[in-house]
Amino acid sequence: MSILMNDLTVTFRNNVTAIDHASLEVPEGIFGLLGENGAGKTTLMRVLTTTLSPSSGTVTLNGLQYHEKNYEKIQRLIGYLPQEIDLYPGLTVQECLEYMGALAGVPKSLCRERIECYLEKTGLTEHRKKKMKQLSGGMKRRVGLIQALINDPEFLIIDEPTTGLDPEERIRIRNLLVDFSEKRTVLFSTHVVEDLAATCNQLAVMKKGCFLYSGSVQNLLDNAAGAVWECMVTDPIKARELEQNYRISSKQQTEGGIRLRILSRIKPGIDCRPVPVTLEDAYIYLHNY
Amino acid sequence: MMKEVKISLPFYKTASALLFIVILSLIRGVSVSYEIGAAMEPAMAILTTAFCADTYVQEITGRRSEVWRLYPMKDKLCAIGARLLLQQGFLLLLAAAGYYLFFLFQRPRLFSLMQPEAGSEIRQFMIFLGAMAVTIAFWSVLSNTIACIFRSLWFGIGGSLLLWLMANSSFAKKLLGPRNVFSYAYRNIADAGGFGWLAGKGICIALCAVMLLLLPTLLKKRG
Repeated sequence: MSILMNDLTVTFRNNVTAIDHASLEVPEGIFGLLGENGAGKTTLMRVLTTTLSPSSGTVTLNGLQYHEKNYEKIQRLIGYLPQEIDLYPGLTVQECLEYMGALAGVPKSLCRERIECYLEKTGLTEHRKKKMKQLSGGMKRRVGLIQALINDPEFLIIDEPTTGLDPEERIRIRNLLVDFSEKRTVLFSTHVVEDLAATCNQLAVMKKGCFLYSGSVQNLLDNAAGAVWECMVTDPIKARELEQNYRISSKQQTEGGIRLRILSRIKPGIDCRPVPVTLEDAYIYLHNY
Repeated sequence: MMKEVKISLPFYKTASALLFIVILSLIRGVSVSYEIGAAMEPAMAILTTAFCADTYVQEITGRRSEVWRLYPMKDKLCAIGARLLLQQGFLLLLAAAGYYLFFLFQRPRLFSLMQPEAGSEIRQFMIFLGAMAVTIAFWSVLSNTIACIFRSLWFGIGGSLLLWLMANSSFAKKLLGPRNVFSYAYRNIADAGGFGWLAGKGICIALCAVMLLLLPTLLKKRG
């Protein structure tokens, strides 16, 4: 299953261009979509889920062109977890998933089998009789993920699944996504860099409706290799001066002073040492150089 | 079906609807049993409008509509249809209960004793139920359709209320006569046994059918 976007543009009625002549290929496996807030990630996802029609350009899903006459076929191949979803608060977890499974056209017995399997995988079996309104944010996200998987989609679209979750829940959701990405295409959008670092091999970076980068995580890291420096300063004025002159990816108060990670193609004029690049460094480097 | 009941008939809605009918039967005076239908029809229309406007729009407010978009149209229509039928059934039961609450609280004179040619009280009640079934069906489908067009519960209620105000006026009574959507409430007491008001109910059914036929297009276009 692969998704091809070619010269895709989405312009709203108020003339705001959310996606601007963007081209991308999403291969099988888990694919990360990274970008700041307002970069166009959610708009892209809404195009891919057929909620929005592009103003120009083409999108194909396994050779099937995104066109109104093909929407029904495409919709059957997709599972979607939007950024925010409020699943039926009066239903229990089991009822909610059975209801959404029936709506997705999944036969009753098969639906129950899948619910059983996914509840087990997501650690929600013991909560199946709880009402949706009684669940924590992380549990709701997990139920949301199951509803996206209930029709066994070939293309799973997940929009910022870890927003607002505690670290433990985030790790759990990330691991689940990796498990589910086997033999599927999972498009995982986020603005949390560490989520992608922990899950994806391939990613695309969006900025103002365009793709700044598309390729492997390793390549993105290689782009910034040799451009990340770490130094320790004791004088806050000196630290402020460095912040003004360089792009700083991290600043940390330690017992020995202020530790700074500096992004610069050339060695900064201060006592510093080169350090390995993190995805966060590479992302910031890409945005600024 | 139990899931649809839980979704479309939550406690807060059923309890407030019940309260509405109890209060209506307590405060709306009727002196003859014949007037109960006239007292209840516009009130039931208002209640139905508020009750059913969220039939589909709750998917939008619950931010589930983008997931719903992926479901087959047939299944979406079945779910919305089931919700509408359940709500209509509940409201019809409530209307029947309201009819007898009027007897209980207002103690009206029996119309069947005043005008025996109009038929028994049971017959009057059955006619009332038939008229209410059409009224409830019309206003429920109307508020759901307007809410779907504007993707807003409040537009669904507000838009229907506007039509309610126009139809429930002496001007509309004069202009439309038996073709008014409230033809049962405005039926002529001198022709108590007659069914001239059925024209208005026929129009309600026709409009209902048109709105239901529009629903797949609305769901496709407005999501």
